[in-house]
Amino acid sequence: MNLVDIVFYFFAVIIVASAAVVVLSKNIMYSAFSLLFTFFGVAGIYVLLNADFIAVTQLMIYIGGILVLIIFGVMLTTKITGLEMKTGITGKAQYAIGGLSTLVLGGTLIYVFNSTSWFKSPSVPTTSTVEAIGASLLTNYLLPFEAASVLLLLAMIGAALIARRK
Amino acid sequence: MNPEQLKILGSSFLGDLLKSVNLFYPETALVVTFLLAILVDLFTRNRPSCKMSGYVSLIGFFVTAIFLCNSPQGMSFAGTYAVDAFSIFFKWIVLITSFVIIVFSFFSKELFGEERQMGEYYTLIVGMTFGMFLLSGATNLILIYLAIETMSMSSYILAGYTKEIKRASEASLKYVIYGATSSGIMIYGISLLFGLTGSLNLSGINAYLAGNNVNHITLLISGIMIIAGIGYKISAVPFHFWTPDVYEGAPVTITAYLSVASKAAGFAILIRLLNSAFTIHAAGDTINTAWSVMKNVDWTMIIAVLSVLSMTLGNFVAVWQTNVKRLLAYSSIAHAGYILMGVAVMNYTGVSAIMIYLAIYMFMNLGAFFVVMIIANHIDSEDLEDYQGIGYRSPWLGVAMTIFMVSLTGLPPTAGFIGKLYVFTAVLNSGMYWLAVIGVLNSVVSLYYYVKVFRNMFLRGAEKANQPIELSLTVKVILIALIIPNIALGIWFGGLVNWANASAAMILK
Amino acid sequence: METNIFIQLLGNNWIAYTAIAVLPLGFLLLYALVAILAELKVSAWMQDRLGPMRTGPWGILQPLAEVVKLLQKEDITPDLANKVLYNLAPYMMFTGAYAAVAVIPFSQQFVPSNINLGLFYIFAVSAIATIGVVMGGWASNNKYSLLGAMRSVAQIISYEIPAAMAILATAVLASSLNLNEINTVQDGGIFNWFIFGGPGPWFKVFVLPFTFGLCLIYMIASLAETNRTPFDIPEGESELVAGYHTEYGGMKFAMFFLGEYVNMFIVSAIMATIFFGGWQSPFGSSIMSGPVWGLFWFLAKVGTVVFFQIWLRWTLPRLRVDQLMDLGWKYLLPMSFICFFAIALWKMLI
Repeated sequence: MNLVDIVFYFFAVIIVASAAVVVLSKNIMYSAFSLLFTFFGVAGIYVLLNADFIAVTQLMIYIGGILVLIIFGVMLTTKITGLEMKTGITGKAQYAIGGLSTLVLGGTLIYVFNSTSWFKSPSVPTTSTVEAIGASLLTNYLLPFEAASVLLLLAMIGAALIARRK
Repeated sequence: MNPEQLKILGSSFLGDLLKSVNLFYPETALVVTFLLAILVDLFTRNRPSCKMSGYVSLIGFFVTAIFLCNSPQGMSFAGTYAVDAFSIFFKWIVLITSFVIIVFSFFSKELFGEERQMGEYYTLIVGMTFGMFLLSGATNLILIYLAIETMSMSSYILAGYTKEIKRASEASLKYVIYGATSSGIMIYGISLLFGLTGSLNLSGINAYLAGNNVNHITLLISGIMIIAGIGYKISAVPFHFWTPDVYEGAPVTITAYLSVASKAAGFAILIRLLNSAFTIHAAGDTINTAWSVMKNVDWTMIIAVLSVLSMTLGNFVAVWQTNVKRLLAYSSIAHAGYILMGVAVMNYTGVSAIMIYLAIYMFMNLGAFFVVMIIANHIDSEDLEDYQGIGYRSPWLGVAMTIFMVSLTGLPPTAGFIGKLYVFTAVLNSGMYWLAVIGVLNSVVSLYYYVKVFRNMFLRGAEKANQPIELSLTVKVILIALIIPNIALGIWFGGLVNWANASAAMILK
Repeated sequence: METNIFIQLLGNNWIAYTAIAVLPLGFLLLYALVAILAELKVSAWMQDRLGPMRTGPWGILQPLAEVVKLLQKEDITPDLANKVLYNLAPYMMFTGAYAAVAVIPFSQQFVPSNINLGLFYIFAVSAIATIGVVMGGWASNNKYSLLGAMRSVAQIISYEIPAAMAILATAVLASSLNLNEINTVQDGGIFNWFIFGGPGPWFKVFVLPFTFGLCLIYMIASLAETNRTPFDIPEGESELVAGYHTEYGGMKFAMFFLGEYVNMFIVSAIMATIFFGGWQSPFGSSIMSGPVWGLFWFLAKVGTVVFFQIWLRWTLPRLRVDQLMDLGWKYLLPMSFICFFAIALWKMLI
């Protein structure tokens, strides 16, 4: 086990453990705050993969944006913080079905990931990914990049529409 | 990358960009319309129910149509977007539907009843049209995903546009939740496919799959996940759960829009994905060449199973429905099944049949929903029971609805018959007799519930004849305009068939 | 060039990394003491008072006494507070603030981590501090805390956008997100700092109003982001007792307090770096410049900005919530967009 492996497993444990809390916790605020560590761990993995820009974006968008939004939403919805969530009071049948499908799905995915010969791109030593990403966005991925702006504008209009009283 | 390298990269891309801009006029016109609609809305803010940005959108669609007529063809934006006869055909379907839907909206009591701000409504429809345009030409997985999201995002909001109605909000919420899940599944599938092939462009994926031996199970899983995302858009079983609730809750115009335009766009991308990514192409392919679909995954069977499930479930559940919108929702699931039969054929005859079917389906479904909307304007109900006697109260509506229902069933001499005829012929030609048999049996079942609609209109409630429903002249004109293609395309279908045949084989790789 | 003196001296090993990681902490603790004293004294002088005079000569040991007092206090967790989150929040806040220090170029020879994404990184990690605020506010189970936290977050989110536009504009001018490179570009005296449009020919006077404007916008936005007056409604004592840290006392309060002062330092440091040339000497690279002078200039500039913040605090009254939102969304945001476009256009033309 070299250093990279250790760091990887460190982040992996953080991600899995905190994600488990997100799912299993009965208090929605715990879930929300636990999500912070999940996002953080994912950002750590990105750093490990040399994807620095994605890592920082992950922090910025997921922690700075989405998580704050979730928590804000929970806090503004006064009744929700004290609400008992239906995580523990489901019947045995649900447990059985849920567990079975999780096992099947998890097993398939693990099998797939181990047995597949994934595409390996030639490894290029990179110092920074920002310029490369910027160049790609304005050349090969120009259309998706511009289309995303329309999508965001649409989403913004939609959000304003929903928030409007009448 | 240093500035010099960036400059070289930029200038090498410039040629492609200039070429791409020429191919992108219709979409550009749509984006400009989109922005103009917002601006116009801003200046007419103080006048609720103002139709100004609706007119702007209609003019924008008209300009788009002019550009679409003269559109050159080719790959654009570094191979992420194909402008070919195939996508142009679908763009016409989307554009006509969007145009018709905005015209419909002007008559909707549901939308204009309350002093509602309608600016965003048109804006969102234009945005959604843009998304569907992109979807019909996208050849890059990221663009496909973004286009689907653009289309979904607008449709989520549009479905709940009458947000003070509880049913609409519920529909919108359900739509969002199912939609988010399915797009999550889809993007996971995309990531797997990217991991397998190292490419996001469909052509790159195709080249890699043809040249390398990839793991079949992984490819299968990723393929199914992507198809799940698309299947959600075309409301194929088992991804259909949202359809009845959303169709019932959304404003009628939006229901009609979802059932035609987003379905057409979904089929466009499904066909393109199967054709461009998973089929081996030889030089000199023509319309008559059978596709040599890659053998590692049995796509034909997957699609065929989806098709059988969709039509069977759609038709059988529709039989029990008492709400007309819900009935039409299940009918649209069933129609997705029929169209999927054409996909399962996996050759250009099948594609051409789908295009014919979709073009016809557009007219008959829009017609049916228009009648539903007009009836709802007058009797405030979409319940099948309340349709009793409509045939006497307004013979116009009764006759029109009967024609649309007959067309949806697929009986001659209506256009629906031609659509079904071509699809079944394609299926029979490819030797999948069992599929054709199931299809025909399903059509028989569908006859029952379609007949139920006009049976209620004409054979019951004759005593209500003394409460006539008066229609305005414009409504009558629109009804005629919708009836004409339903009859005419059943008799003179040569033009449409030739156009579809010519477009079907023109899928750029 | 290796930008880290510790790696040069100690080699590329864990001792060097530990030193790099810990040294700023020591510095910040010292800085906090000075800043607290400055706050006490400046406020006193502005109000024509003497301020603390008893602890040490002219009261300069006052902050130290305050720290000792806070350390001695009993560590109380309110009964109905959410224990885990309540205790975690102050550390969260400080972690977020301290994480940003990692990329600040203190001098040519000391940038703790000279990463290419510096500016972007600072913005991203500041989110962690935000989470700390919300966490503390919610876990305290006190309505003032909750209100304070929500106001604070709303304010931070609103003002992050104009601040980000200002920062992006300088990134455009410098063609880099690396803070050290942004500093290097502003070589050659005071008129080459980005507040004066950066290095360029005489006709950069056309862009000067915009860079100057962005500097002001960033100044205002950064005040709001650090919850300083006139934007201290999240802590407005007349309405909310003390905002999100109402329930905190002792060491945990000290952590919040430290976090706020570190945040103040960070925004001042960003401002010094991107607008005032950071460690660049105002007289050009030949006079009074070098690693040690660099540290001096940097700290001097940061100190000036911090002083300015304190000065404002004791000069301006507090804004109302609606005024605050108006200012952020209706004035600063459009203005920052205009400035950004102008600067991007200028950068494209030259």
